[in-house]
Amino acid sequence: MSAKKKSAAPSRSKAAPVTATKRLRTSSVGDGADAHQQLIASRVRAGLFAFFALLSLAITSGSAGVEGKFAFWADKVGGTDISFSIPVILLWAIVTAGFGAMAGLQLTRGATFKWRLAIGLVSPILVFALLARLLDGTTANLTVFFTSTLSYAIPVGIGALAGIVAERSGFLNIAIEGKLLFGAMIGSIASSLTGIAIAGPIAGAIFGAGVSLFLAWLGIRYKVDQIIAGTVINIGAVGVTTFAYLRVLQPHSEFNRPIGISPIQIPVLSEIPILGPILFSLSPYFYLSVGLVLFFTYMIYRTRWGLRLRAAGEQPNAAGTVGIDVVKLRYRAMIIAGLLAGFAGSYISLSGTGGFGVNTSAGKGFIALAAVIFGAWNPIYAFGASLIFGMTTAATTLLSGLGVSLPPQILLSMPYVVTIIVVAGLIGRVRAPASAGRPYDQG
Amino acid sequence: MRLELQKITKQFPGVLANDRISISVDKGQVLGLLGENGAGKTTLMNILSGLYRPDSGKILIDGKERIFRDPAQAIDAGIGMVHQHFMLVPVFDVTESVVLGNEPTKGPLGSFDRATARAQVVELSKKHGLHVDPDAKIESLPVGVRQRVEILKALYRKSDILVLDEPSAVLTPQETEELFDIIRGLAKGGTSVIFITHKLNEVIAVADKITVLRRGAVAGETTPKKATAAKLAEMMVGREVQLTVSRSKSHVAEPILQVKGLNVLNDAGGRAVNDVTFEVRSGEILAVAGVQGNGQTELVEALTGLRLVDSGTVALEKKPLHAGSPREIAMAGVAHIPEDRNRDGMIKGMTVAENYILNTYHLPQYSKNGLLNRKAIAAATEQAVKDFDVRTPSINTDIGSLSGGNQQKVIVAREFSRNVRLVIAAQPTRGLDVGSIEYIHRRIVEQRDAGAAVLIVSTELDEVLALGDRVAVMYEGRIVGILDAKQATRERVGLLMGGITK
Repeated sequence: MSAKKKSAAPSRSKAAPVTATKRLRTSSVGDGADAHQQLIASRVRAGLFAFFALLSLAITSGSAGVEGKFAFWADKVGGTDISFSIPVILLWAIVTAGFGAMAGLQLTRGATFKWRLAIGLVSPILVFALLARLLDGTTANLTVFFTSTLSYAIPVGIGALAGIVAERSGFLNIAIEGKLLFGAMIGSIASSLTGIAIAGPIAGAIFGAGVSLFLAWLGIRYKVDQIIAGTVINIGAVGVTTFAYLRVLQPHSEFNRPIGISPIQIPVLSEIPILGPILFSLSPYFYLSVGLVLFFTYMIYRTRWGLRLRAAGEQPNAAGTVGIDVVKLRYRAMIIAGLLAGFAGSYISLSGTGGFGVNTSAGKGFIALAAVIFGAWNPIYAFGASLIFGMTTAATTLLSGLGVSLPPQILLSMPYVVTIIVVAGLIGRVRAPASAGRPYDQG
Repeated sequence: MRLELQKITKQFPGVLANDRISISVDKGQVLGLLGENGAGKTTLMNILSGLYRPDSGKILIDGKERIFRDPAQAIDAGIGMVHQHFMLVPVFDVTESVVLGNEPTKGPLGSFDRATARAQVVELSKKHGLHVDPDAKIESLPVGVRQRVEILKALYRKSDILVLDEPSAVLTPQETEELFDIIRGLAKGGTSVIFITHKLNEVIAVADKITVLRRGAVAGETTPKKATAAKLAEMMVGREVQLTVSRSKSHVAEPILQVKGLNVLNDAGGRAVNDVTFEVRSGEILAVAGVQGNGQTELVEALTGLRLVDSGTVALEKKPLHAGSPREIAMAGVAHIPEDRNRDGMIKGMTVAENYILNTYHLPQYSKNGLLNRKAIAAATEQAVKDFDVRTPSINTDIGSLSGGNQQKVIVAREFSRNVRLVIAAQPTRGLDVGSIEYIHRRIVEQRDAGAAVLIVSTELDEVLALGDRVAVMYEGRIVGILDAKQATRERVGLLMGGITK
């Protein structure tokens, strides 16, 4: 009798068993599978936050009487100053309270606590507090600080976008660093030779696509392990560009005198007091980057292309059996990734002065990889992660410019250390595209 | 549409997978394609779905020759595949899964038109009586429903020929019945269906016409009316087959394995085995039935020391078994035939002899001071190969080059080479030919008759019913019932497998 009943209402009641474990694994917090692990993870995080709170409490108590002095350029870059000062002890008290609250909330709310968001909120204040403490009374210009934060984020954010597009298609793209380097060198050469500013980014992007295509060819056609192939490209890029620099670019400096792409003033908007000089007087690269990030977010989540891209990265067989050409799709995604990475690389040599230098990308490609993970393969989140990197780098630059007495090696390593802590130390479980890194076998 | 395959031949290095196979199916007909593993069914279907190209032979649809260079062309021609391993993206929802590859779009960027897609899926599932929630994530769906999504995928592509590859492998008997209803309904509506299986009863139940494959060639054609299970088995194997395991009455004695209140976690930390209590006595076979993924794997891993026990006790002959030390457990007299022989049973790339001593190499007769005694190993392996009828060119052959049946025989020989008090056999005959299945069943029954306790875990109901002196059914990590062989009917066990205890 019960059998009859069952077939009468088949869709729900006969909910069969096979995925009992799977279901638990994916269901939300609290029941079964994840709960145990999440509990441990959130306790660890709570402990970590408590430790941070104690640490900042110690700094707070040692900061009495120090004034943090900050300034903005009100009207334009290099214009009139607006300055203000905050007692450092107050900043640190806020940070201490913030970490304390995070520890408490994490402990009581467990896995429902949005700790990523909380870190996002507390870390800017922390950076200021740190800055103010280290400056020890010297005035820091915040307009410079913010613009450089945004600028430093550009190559990392676009590099991360390159990683996301590739990995969403199922190709583990660890060669971002190599493509940045190539993009930087080729961009500089192209710009120098043609005398056309825009030739730099275009050439860099095209060359990056070429490198990416080569990598894809190794990984897809010959099924070379994608991590090894990527590493080869990264190491090869350092070797080739350094050689080219020492043998060609240095002796013939006309090859390495690019037309820089300088910041633009956006009409009207750049005249907004305080905000104008920060947000609307940046390099065109920045605005293009924001556009690309938004564009690709839309493409990945809302279009047919994105649906197929994600299918190929999750379950290439599922895509292949409905007639999607997974191999072609991955090649295309890798070309796009190469265009993006090469473009990002050109920024490094074209934004500042002096063109290309030895190992000029300085690990930004790897930071981009970290941003991919922290951003959970979502372009917008990943761009947010690259802002954290940008902010730390900006702080470092600011401090070394003002002659703060810290060994330069420590200062220079700070952005990387912070990134590692953020990505590795505090990361929860994010879900990578299930098939990223696995070659597709069409049979 | 009428589909005809004419003299399809496909050669792989060393194997003639398809040897001039000709089959046909008419509009509205259900063709049962019966064959053992390795008979060439899957190769044939991969050719039909455009994944492989035949070396020679023709594919005719309504009399016209078609050549498929890739899956897209096969789909265009109206062929829809439901693969044995579902081709679904776990993180997609039902709507996305069904339309993937033929997505409705709008706008210049090719934006995915979700609303239209969803409406189409809803309409399609209503029309064919395939109930699914269009917004449910695939990974949250039970297997039976996922299969419906697969069928919807094919129907969405307007398939006139539906090919189902071993569709019942992951279903409970009741779900299988429902699937048959769906198939009959589709056939009535004019869809041609090819139903691939190795289960005799299923083709008899659902097919209009049966074609049997053996070793890559057509072994015969018949209809369900003319066929009997015994006849089909004979066609499939090429000789007379005993479908039931002959075994004497069991002589049950003292309990060997006692499991009390066992809880085991899965890899994700969820509770896979939930408060399980049972015992297996000397001279009896306890068969654990259940649809794949209901905690059987974790149960076996916990009993054999491959997975930590969360709480509860496991005792072998009254002595507690300490989880975490597979060697200790093996030496205590537990023989383990693992579920996935490729992963846990043997090491491909190593020889038959090396695999034979895989868990006894440390014993003094095989090694001294860290040096292997090759002579003793060779002698023992030679004997085992003879005793267990392992067909191998030599004991120094790579085990990976043997057939599945012979690999399994090496594993069974190894496990039975020690003093055995308890046999734990998980899916001992998965993917084997009928001859090997018979042989391994016989060996397991021999162990029982010699006084060992035997625990068999199987998702094949036939195997459970054929071997079990008692049948335990696992559902969502619990044992929902233990029946004596007499009470254990297909119907009753089947309901328990679906979690229905009344």
